[in-house]
Amino acid sequence: MSAHRFSAKSATRGAASIVLFLLLWELGSRSRQWIGADIFSPLREMLGALGFKKTYLPWVGAVPAPTEVLNAWLGVVADAGYWQSWYKSMFRVLAGFGAAMLIGIPFGLLLAVNRTAFGIGFPVFEVLRPIPPLAWVPASIIFWPTQEMSIAFVTFLGAFYTIVINVVGGAKSIDQRYFQAAQSMGSSKWDIFRRIILPGTLPSIMVGSAVGMGITWEVVVAAEMISGGGSQAGGTGGGGLGFFIWNSYVGGSYQQIVVGMISIGLAGFVSSELLRALGQYVTPWLRLR
Amino acid sequence: MNTPRTPTRGAIRIDDVVKIYDPGGAAVMAVDHCTLDIEAGEICMIVGPSGCGKTTLLNAIAGFHEISSGRITLDGEVLCSTDKPKAEPGSDRIVVFQNGALFPWKTNIENVAFGPIVQGKLARTEAVEKALSMMADAGLSGVEHNYPGEVSSGVRRRVEIVRALMNDPKVLLLDEPYRALDSLTKSVMHEALLEIYYKNKVTIFFITHDLEEAIFLGHKVAIMTTRPCKPKKILNVDIPHPRDYNVLTSKRFRELMEETNDAVHEEALKAFRAGEKEG
Amino acid sequence: MEPVKKALTPEVMLDIFKRTMPFQVVSDTMLRKIAALGWQAKHEQGAVLYDAGDKADDIYIIVSGKVEHALEPGVNARRPMQTLGPGDVFGWAALLNQYPSRLATAVCVEPTEIVRINGEELLRLFESDPDSGDVVMSRFATMITRDYTVPDLIAQLRTIHRKLHSGDIQGMNLTLYRLSLWARSPRPYLMLIGFALFLGFWYLAVEVWKLPRFREMPGITVVIKEWISKDPTYGLSLYTPEYYQHIGMSVWRVTQAFVLATLIGVPFGLFLGWSRQFKEYLFPLFEMLRPIPILAWVPLAIVMFVSTESAVIYLTFLASFYATALNTMLGVESIEESYLRAASCLGASKWQVFRHIIVPGSLPFIFTGLQISVGVAWFSLVAAEMVSGQYGLGYVINTSYTMVRYPTIVIGMITLGAVGYVTSAMVRIAGDYLMQWRVRELALGGR
Repeated sequence: MSAHRFSAKSATRGAASIVLFLLLWELGSRSRQWIGADIFSPLREMLGALGFKKTYLPWVGAVPAPTEVLNAWLGVVADAGYWQSWYKSMFRVLAGFGAAMLIGIPFGLLLAVNRTAFGIGFPVFEVLRPIPPLAWVPASIIFWPTQEMSIAFVTFLGAFYTIVINVVGGAKSIDQRYFQAAQSMGSSKWDIFRRIILPGTLPSIMVGSAVGMGITWEVVVAAEMISGGGSQAGGTGGGGLGFFIWNSYVGGSYQQIVVGMISIGLAGFVSSELLRALGQYVTPWLRLR
Repeated sequence: MNTPRTPTRGAIRIDDVVKIYDPGGAAVMAVDHCTLDIEAGEICMIVGPSGCGKTTLLNAIAGFHEISSGRITLDGEVLCSTDKPKAEPGSDRIVVFQNGALFPWKTNIENVAFGPIVQGKLARTEAVEKALSMMADAGLSGVEHNYPGEVSSGVRRRVEIVRALMNDPKVLLLDEPYRALDSLTKSVMHEALLEIYYKNKVTIFFITHDLEEAIFLGHKVAIMTTRPCKPKKILNVDIPHPRDYNVLTSKRFRELMEETNDAVHEEALKAFRAGEKEG
Repeated sequence: MEPVKKALTPEVMLDIFKRTMPFQVVSDTMLRKIAALGWQAKHEQGAVLYDAGDKADDIYIIVSGKVEHALEPGVNARRPMQTLGPGDVFGWAALLNQYPSRLATAVCVEPTEIVRINGEELLRLFESDPDSGDVVMSRFATMITRDYTVPDLIAQLRTIHRKLHSGDIQGMNLTLYRLSLWARSPRPYLMLIGFALFLGFWYLAVEVWKLPRFREMPGITVVIKEWISKDPTYGLSLYTPEYYQHIGMSVWRVTQAFVLATLIGVPFGLFLGWSRQFKEYLFPLFEMLRPIPILAWVPLAIVMFVSTESAVIYLTFLASFYATALNTMLGVESIEESYLRAASCLGASKWQVFRHIIVPGSLPFIFTGLQISVGVAWFSLVAAEMVSGQYGLGYVINTSYTMVRYPTIVIGMITLGAVGYVTSAMVRIAGDYLMQWRVRELALGGR
């Protein structure tokens, strides 16, 4: 079984589901407006019996409708602060991820190449890994002088673990025969490192980056929500998209919450695509397969 | 002991079969008006360079691929034709795969008993009993309750063959089954296969690139051209069965090798050059 | 009639061994070592190889000829008299130290060529390579118990079988086996060095050298003292019931979310992988929602759910669900085409293929997904608890910060790490148990 080919028919099916989803969402959000009608009284009874409120559908009834969200979005797009939030979050994600790669890749390679380093470093790494990055936030805030740095540190941690694991895994899975071939052709240790280990781990790093990117976004958003976004608040600007969402919640404009959520989803998608393009540039040999 | 049946079933006729991949686009012809007759109970060896299209033929018989035109019949019944390009896979033609397809999560005995159980032909206890005795017949006692991953690849191959034979197929389709084995194991496998064949007399359609293997095992050896494939030369091996490894050094064997070596080598060179062009 | 002793060439020996059970199941390297122990003998027709009651020293393999093997009365066997031919192995009583004498009489009924191996040497060889040794011995055991019902004999076999190495390679015992191997390597000592470096640095930086920034952090001695104190300054230690309440709360939430995500995510993923139509309809929607970080859902979840408890579990569930469903789908898609084709050849219907091939075949990926799922569940749970919750380890960490109880922060973090690790290991062990076949394949290095 392999990946399915893209076709017009499959695209329409996918689109149909999305449209249906949006329709149901719209109807559900507006349930306050129609659930009062007489024909729905058995439905109301059932909701009541289950312990829910009878005035709107549970869960989806509390959520703003897609049309409202769209409306709010059109309003927000004009606000410069919104785009500043985009920029801030993107910057944090890419910077944090970049730092994680800068430190994580060499660290991972060291562990993979040197058995003693692995024996000393990996157990400590593995013991620290299950601690969720967000659990580090308070400690990070205590330690680092500025809020921006504490967010950056936690962001860095999130991606760091994934990258190291992928580098180590990738190095271990390099076919032994490549090493043997290189040695029989007289390569020095440095040569082997540069020409076999480094390129050999790149695919794993690229693949792992997708996961790492996702984690980085989670951490950035959470950190922005928890620590209040960093610089001066006020309007929608200054704090990044996570802060934007939190602020919208606190300020009671629920439509903007959803706007923020979708924005982050989009931003995440964009950054993943950027990363994938980078990956293809760096590992052209995989493409030809 | 099983008395060998006089083979009356399992005659395959491949009739002017053509297979073109991606007809609307690259239009790669894999099989070029191939016609071949395989008698009931015969071991027919298909020899040709890699990538020439022999597996396509096997897949067409098995029902995994469509043909573009032509006809394949089994004992007179049409398997696939221009009107009905894809055959139905079934337990009358069972494939033994190149890299092995024993289900790794089932023990050997569960694998072997799989066919009759899922088809509802035998109850579970009966199927297991039959499987035990067939495995014992094939010299596989002792590995019944192991998983395929625990035994050597030679043993795995034999278990896979027994799994196929449990279903009393008309034809066994073997796609380079011994390709990945070392030559010592291979010779053991050959004799094991012949032993099984003598007890069960199915038609065997065996793809290989090894000419020695082909002449040693087969009644008939069809040497195929490089892609697109069609029979270039058909050899009837007149060394009598039952055969054993002494055949390999017999005069007749050497003669047959000489007759056919050139033809095979020619096609191999063509394939190699074609590969260079494709780059 | 002295047997003619002859040592055969290694290649011919190898060839002979490859044809015989139980030897043919091991790797060539092992076979060569076994073959090196053997020597060939030729016997004439009528030669008595051994009598019942003789000392049992060698194992015999017939290369050519025929041997009649007659068991002495009193030995319960299914076939008291056998004629053995080329490729048959007999005389394995030599492998059972406590059974020093022959159970049968063996006579050549034709001129016969034999290969003999000394039993003690063979056992020593197996002890030096327990993996292969175990393989051969289990095969012997199966063969023998098929033919014989001597209770002592069987018990003997079990003793030998277990004596070969400490711990069977089966299911959960694989973990112990791994541990025992690992304990013998230099790794534990390096590990200790690593921890010593880390903890030492923590201690020195905070409490001794009082480096800038590090000064503010809780020191390791403070944390440990707090953790094991019966009356902790900040109210949370190994001795306080609240500690376990918080742990229990977090674990309970993760369990609920994880179970729900597995029950929904696995079938969903299976269908996504199995049915092209299903995937075409639902996968785009799934992929559209997935990039939204779980934590971006927090405010909306609070709005949607009346109780914060449900919101927290929903968030945790969502994270696990994505991981589980995606990995399950990948698992189905990773199943080799040849397995599906083989199944259709063998006459399996669509549902039978699903049950016998798709589900077991995707289990490895499913369990990887479940491990990831547990990991992200903890990740989301902690965040959710920090933002909106009562009780739970995330809540502890957050409130400890706001109430300036710094050592408790660290206690919370360490506890989180430990609990997270344990739950992940539990999933892995469950996977090892359900996928015996994979465990054994990996242990034997796969061939």
